[in-house]
Amino acid sequence: MSDKTLLHLNLIQLVYAYALILLSVSLARFRQIGQERQMLWASIRMVVQLLAVGYLLQLVFTVRSPLMVILILLTMTGFSLQVMGSRIKRRMPHFYRIMGSSIMIGCGGVTFYFCLLVVGYTPWYDPRYLIPLAGMIIGNSMNGASLAAERLTSEMRERHDELETALCLGATARQAAEPALRTAYRAALIPTMNTMAATGIVALPGMMTGQILSGTEPMLAVRYQIAIMCAITASVAITAFLILLQGYRGYFTQADQLRNTP
Amino acid sequence: MAPSLSTPLLQLQQLTTARNFLTDITWSCQAGELTAVIGPSGGGKSSLIRLINRLEDPSDGQILLAGQDIRELPPPLLRQRVGMMLQKAFMFEGTVLDNLQQPFRYRKEALPGAEHPNLLRSIGLARLSPDYLQRDARTLSGGEQQRVNLARALINRPELLLLDEPTSALDRPTTDSLGQTLLEICRSEGLAVIMVTHDLRLARRISDQTIYLEAGRIVEAGKTAELFARPQSEDLRTFLAEPEEQEA
Repeated sequence: MSDKTLLHLNLIQLVYAYALILLSVSLARFRQIGQERQMLWASIRMVVQLLAVGYLLQLVFTVRSPLMVILILLTMTGFSLQVMGSRIKRRMPHFYRIMGSSIMIGCGGVTFYFCLLVVGYTPWYDPRYLIPLAGMIIGNSMNGASLAAERLTSEMRERHDELETALCLGATARQAAEPALRTAYRAALIPTMNTMAATGIVALPGMMTGQILSGTEPMLAVRYQIAIMCAITASVAITAFLILLQGYRGYFTQADQLRNTP
Repeated sequence: MAPSLSTPLLQLQQLTTARNFLTDITWSCQAGELTAVIGPSGGGKSSLIRLINRLEDPSDGQILLAGQDIRELPPPLLRQRVGMMLQKAFMFEGTVLDNLQQPFRYRKEALPGAEHPNLLRSIGLARLSPDYLQRDARTLSGGEQQRVNLARALINRPELLLLDEPTSALDRPTTDSLGQTLLEICRSEGLAVIMVTHDLRLARRISDQTIYLEAGRIVEAGKTAELFARPQSEDLRTFLAEPEEQEA
């Protein structure tokens, strides 16, 4: 990053930016959507939360303690679980345990592989790399993870007759659930595949745009973007795989019987 | 594995399920015997047969198949020996042949072709013409699907076949013809059949034994002809006197 091209944003400039929100709020008020107050409140939350994260990151960057970095990663995982839990109405049995462990292994594994082997910086816990990269990987995997969980639940409900028929014909729980697992895994992977196919044509990814804005050469930013897309794809694939692998078992007993689930 | 003459093929011993839905069910049957389970809706008929292939487990009591506790068998193996036709004939995607091959996929065995003797035997027993094998299973009529369902249940060569309301979605002639088929299989193959049914006419016509189940208990059980001719309990007399649900 060369400081020559890096344009700083001062407070006055931010105020100009915030004026755009006020413009949006007045348009909403003009149309009388009745949500102006909420809009304003959301914008204030956005500013306060981002400033808080900024200060927190600045603090973490100066302290550079591995324990603190790990703690932040765990908090991020916790928040992602909370978001997914509130978004999904019908949750599979042992939802939080399964989602938590799958994200930790899937996203965590890929993050460390990416940081240590692909980017290869030292020390391994350097918050300047680890935190934003983990954030991007977890954030992007959340969608695939909730799709896998949501789809598994609905497939297991809709396929009740099929599951019992399969069991009656001598299938194991795993064999009976196989078509449901296949459909759920496909549903989890499709958005990531679509994003990969559309990247660069339909949308310029956020990270790449950010790097270019802060002065990185486009080709280097592109290389980073390619690498991070690979990491996100693997993270979605591994996390969703683990969710389904553990998730379907909750619908069956040890004796390959279908459990009564809500 | 053939049971000796003294050992019944199936023995139910003091079965009780959670929250006493079924209470103290004791009963046995022999190979080649057709048993009808009748009684009011919600009386536990389906729950009873679901215990026999372990789709559910009792909280108390035990079930012996040819003298062996069924909990000692791996469930997939038990379900090969105890076939079951669920009330709704679910057809897997694909042809009738694909559906008949499904149990072999689960066992990771070579799939039998359309000419395989075991496959031809099953569709023959279910009175299904070989022309059906290449047809899309999901486009068949209810009666035809129920025959595929029967052939698919028979392809594992079970010793015991459980039927949950096999004729509930069928019209009278189709019901009669399927009932006749069941009786013939029972006699020719020495297969024991336990059939839950609302259709008293069918039960009376084809079954050897009848169990009358009400509120989770066996109120009366015995030879079908006797039970229908001389019901002992007031409950059964009332039940038999009511017009049949299917014909109502």
